[in-house]
Amino acid sequence: MKLKSERHGSVVVMGMKGKVMGGPDATVFRDELKNHLDDGIRKVVIDLGRVDWMNSSGLGILIGGLTTVKNAGGEMKLARTTDKIQSLLMITKLVQVFSTYETVEAAIAAFSE
Amino acid sequence: MSDEGKLIVPSDLAKLEEVDGFAENWMNGMPFTKDQRDDIAISLSEVVTNAIEHGNAGIVDKMVTVVLLRIEGGIRIEVTDQGGGFNPALVADPTDPENLLSESGRGLLIVHHLMDEVDVEPVSTGTRISLVKRFTASNTG
Ligand SMILES: Nc1ncnc2c1ncn2[C@@H]1O[C@H](COP(=O)(O)OP(=O)(O)O)[C@@H](O)[C@H]1O
Ligand SMILES: [Mg+2]
Repeated sequence: MKLKSERHGSVVVMGMKGKVMGGPDATVFRDELKNHLDDGIRKVVIDLGRVDWMNSSGLGILIGGLTTVKNAGGEMKLARTTDKIQSLLMITKLVQVFSTYETVEAAIAAFSE
Repeated sequence: MSDEGKLIVPSDLAKLEEVDGFAENWMNGMPFTKDQRDDIAISLSEVVTNAIEHGNAGIVDKMVTVVLLRIEGGIRIEVTDQGGGFNPALVADPTDPENLLSESGRGLLIVHHLMDEVDVEPVSTGTRISLVKRFTASNTG
């Protein structure tokens, strides 16, 4: 997985790219998210549009992120979930847990002020 | 393209990419769709992760053996660890409301959805998980 973060005002968009699995990917994501929270960011969008595929470790990374951001008093949303990821969210019933948006712009616009 | 592929890796999650690349290469030219290739790659990553984390308990010099086989109408993947195995019937349901926010526990559920056959069996050296994917999609959902 490659991870790239971009600031859009008070929102950080973390773009995942490639194949998201366990091991090194989890550490990379956790460290980068922690940096954003340390910088005072409380609105996080995970852009999944360039993910080839993700396994259950990837879903665990997203759940961990959601919990961390919520515990810090923030909000995390998913943008551009691919068909494959959407089907994994259905199988695992995680559709109930995540807010998903078709575009990054829509996810950003959905944050409460 | 040979009919059988075999790769042996130590119990290190950093090896997942190597396993993925090996299988992707081996499947080259087979009549799978992009979607089916992703199903296989995801499922292989799940069972190899389990072999490393659970079967071999992360002990790096315990090995994981991946064997890829052409079978009639599809492929069979066999992943063998050096562990004591488990009873799939006793695995908790990750979709239970009380487990929904857990960071783990969804691997086998996903594999069962993405592959046509999943078998767990004890072998003399440990535990073997076998996965079958057919070229033509079956309607098992
Ligand atoms: N190769 C294995 N050896 C021993 N136990 C296993 C193996 N694969 C799976 N398991 C057991 O099945 C459980 C469920 O596996 P899985 O659905 O992949 O979830 P997770 O790996 O996130 O716990 C594991 O927690 C483990 O107890
Ligand atoms: Mg697992």
